[in-house]
Amino acid sequence: MKADIAVVGSGLAALVATRTLQQAGRNPVLIWPGLSSLYFTYATVDVLGYSDLTATQPVEQPEAGVAQLIADHPDHPYAVAGLDALRSGTTLLIEWLRAAGFSWQGSLAHNLLLPTAIGTPKPSCLVPDSMAPGDLRRDEPIVFCGFHGYEDFVPELAASNLSRSWGRGEGSVRAIRVSLPGFDASRLFTSIDLARSFEDKAFRQEVASRIRREISVDGHRLGVPAVLGLTHDSDIHSSFATQVGHPVFEIPTLPPSVLGLRLFDRLRKHIQESGVEMIWAAPAHEAEVSDGRCRRIFLKSAGREQPIDARAYVLALEDTVDGALRAGVHTVVDPFFHQSLAHHAVPTERTDESLFKPQPFASIGYPVTDRLQPSDDAGRPLAGNVFVAGGAIAGYDPVGTKSRGGLAIATGYRAAKEAMAA
Amino acid sequence: MITEEIGTFSDTVEEAAPVEACTKCTACNTVCPVARSTEIFRGPKFLGPESERYRSQPEAAVTAGLDLCSGCKLCEVTCPSQVTIQEYIRRAQNKGAEEKGRTLRDWVLGHTRLLSRFGSMTAPLANFGNRNPLVRLVMERVLGIHHKRPLPRYQWLTFERWFKRNSLSPRGGGSGRGGLATHRTVAYFYGCWVNYNERRLGEQVVAILERNGIDVIVPKQQCCGIPAVVNANMDLARKYGVENVRRLNGLPPGVDIIASSTSCGLMLKHDYSHLLDIPGAEQVGARVYDICEYLWMLHEAGELNLDFQPVTTRLLYHAPCHLKSHGIGYPAMRLLRLIPGVQLEEVDEGCCGISGTFGVKVEKYDLSMKIGSRLFAAVKAAGSDAVLADCETCRMQVEHGAGAHSAHPIDILARAYGHG
Repeated sequence: MKADIAVVGSGLAALVATRTLQQAGRNPVLIWPGLSSLYFTYATVDVLGYSDLTATQPVEQPEAGVAQLIADHPDHPYAVAGLDALRSGTTLLIEWLRAAGFSWQGSLAHNLLLPTAIGTPKPSCLVPDSMAPGDLRRDEPIVFCGFHGYEDFVPELAASNLSRSWGRGEGSVRAIRVSLPGFDASRLFTSIDLARSFEDKAFRQEVASRIRREISVDGHRLGVPAVLGLTHDSDIHSSFATQVGHPVFEIPTLPPSVLGLRLFDRLRKHIQESGVEMIWAAPAHEAEVSDGRCRRIFLKSAGREQPIDARAYVLALEDTVDGALRAGVHTVVDPFFHQSLAHHAVPTERTDESLFKPQPFASIGYPVTDRLQPSDDAGRPLAGNVFVAGGAIAGYDPVGTKSRGGLAIATGYRAAKEAMAA
Repeated sequence: MITEEIGTFSDTVEEAAPVEACTKCTACNTVCPVARSTEIFRGPKFLGPESERYRSQPEAAVTAGLDLCSGCKLCEVTCPSQVTIQEYIRRAQNKGAEEKGRTLRDWVLGHTRLLSRFGSMTAPLANFGNRNPLVRLVMERVLGIHHKRPLPRYQWLTFERWFKRNSLSPRGGGSGRGGLATHRTVAYFYGCWVNYNERRLGEQVVAILERNGIDVIVPKQQCCGIPAVVNANMDLARKYGVENVRRLNGLPPGVDIIASSTSCGLMLKHDYSHLLDIPGAEQVGARVYDICEYLWMLHEAGELNLDFQPVTTRLLYHAPCHLKSHGIGYPAMRLLRLIPGVQLEEVDEGCCGISGTFGVKVEKYDLSMKIGSRLFAAVKAAGSDAVLADCETCRMQVEHGAGAHSAHPIDILARAYGHG
């Protein structure tokens, strides 16, 4: 199949790149394997939460933090993409979210500090309205509400952890649990099933009244797992908060992420309706390069390899989960150019024993040129018309520094601009 | 120690995804149309890879819940690790059926070709019976076929016989009758549907190909086998598949194979070699194209006749689940947008619910309608002259559930060429 510019991936970097190309009047095709990588992440936009992996204090002003990071580390992917790409990409995303009917908050000027499902404070830059009332820079006491039978959110754990790091005195953080109509202990269910049920008005009303009975004092805010509807987030969230009688905030849970699903499904539909062709279910690999340019990449379609013949390519995959990297026992290779991206004589060097410490595998990725082209050991581009964006770029840990979203935006935007010029 | 032990493993990356490739991310359950519609279905993750870890050949198959899987394959489409979820479910279901036997109904539905042949031979009578409430009540009691499900109309003249009588192609040699002189010859895998129920679609496919200067040959063929696969009769499916592979591999080199049914095409492209392990199937699969995929390829090569008459019409497009498994995007939409006057929008509301013979069954009918309800509502709300779908049972379901006229995308293209 022929295309103007092929964007490979389905996370934020791919979406921002596609939108950038489309806004510029180009004709991108979006290709990805499996479910969007957004389903496996928080789906907030985290620009910079910690200045490096050893920092203990969260960054308060992400834009200033990134500027400092660029000054200190000229090789960092943020420095390659540039601060302007972050600014322009963020503006583009905020406008797009609005156009697609989302209601989000935040700006590059300040981070919000939001409680996670285990009660740790996490800095985020742009978040949906439904999460914002959880901001820990505010003082109102918090009630975490879990649901019987739903094990992906344990309110007691969140409350006990948060009261240690944030507590505003006696009783400022506590936990409750309510049972849900139709969800008894024998039923296996996930956040997705709950979110579907929360789309039902009667269900929501019943749950709200059960919660109301548990909170007698005014002035509290209520943290619930992010299951308030699969699609119409802001409507459901605000009506539910009114019914509960307290401000309500959603807390992202383990995958599949309802927040990621909401975000991806609507942005995908929005961009598809405006005429962007999408091919999913087909893992892309194998770049065919001649005279320094990528002529084709191949999709593993049913029956045979399907060539995609584009003028330029944006590889905006995230990691091993969506096929950006292939990890063998010792070696991690990229599936497009078959470069060895990391080699570990002892495979356990790739990981830290503690799950909560920065993981060495998180920084493995494609080395890039100053135009985001994938490069060889000597820093030369492997193909002049291929550009990498998002988590697959080497040399940073998007999880440890809470910067996945911002880097996706900055590199997605910059890669799209480069692809147009290639 | 660790180094030495692990060093004995190969460092090559596993290409085929074994059950261990499942990371339990639950992506499949998220998109499963059945899991979305009934809480008694435990979902592809549990019935596929998770149960697979406990299945072993000598033990009897545990089949509880497996029959609720409709076979849409959206789980496989969605899996980021390319786990063959459907294949685990189908194999377990088949093993269960071999151990415990299958119902008469499932045996009959698996033999769609036999059934259709009989229906076609007795066309006026069969069509009368299929629309007679009393007959339908008896069918529901005896066969377990829901009385509300409209059954396809049979035609007495099959496509196969029509082609022998009417096609002006010189069958396998010489040049086509179209305006463009090309060297292309295609073999048309028309499938049971075109042969016994919708000959007109086959006629249009032939007319469009010939219009583009392509010789059409129609090799002798069997049912693709998908009705047998989804009705837990893999031996029968393999028998059909072996026969088709043998005949299609006998085609001269350079002859491409096209299919106008999404699911037949997917069987030929993928399932013969993967699910059914048929020797020689990969060579066949690599030659198979969906009809719209093929025509789009011609367009990109500058070989498609673009001499279209305007077709002023408002259309909706429903992408069949099995088309997503092809991994080719939506070539029908690209193609139809070349025609002046065509207004085409995708109605993106997921599975229609029928899944071949699934929604025909008495105990599945209501579920099938519930799965499709989002699509029906969207189709009704949007309004259109027709809802297009490449898959025949999707078209049946949309007509039944949304009361909308439905057609194969080829129908519009044929009109643009003046073969309406």
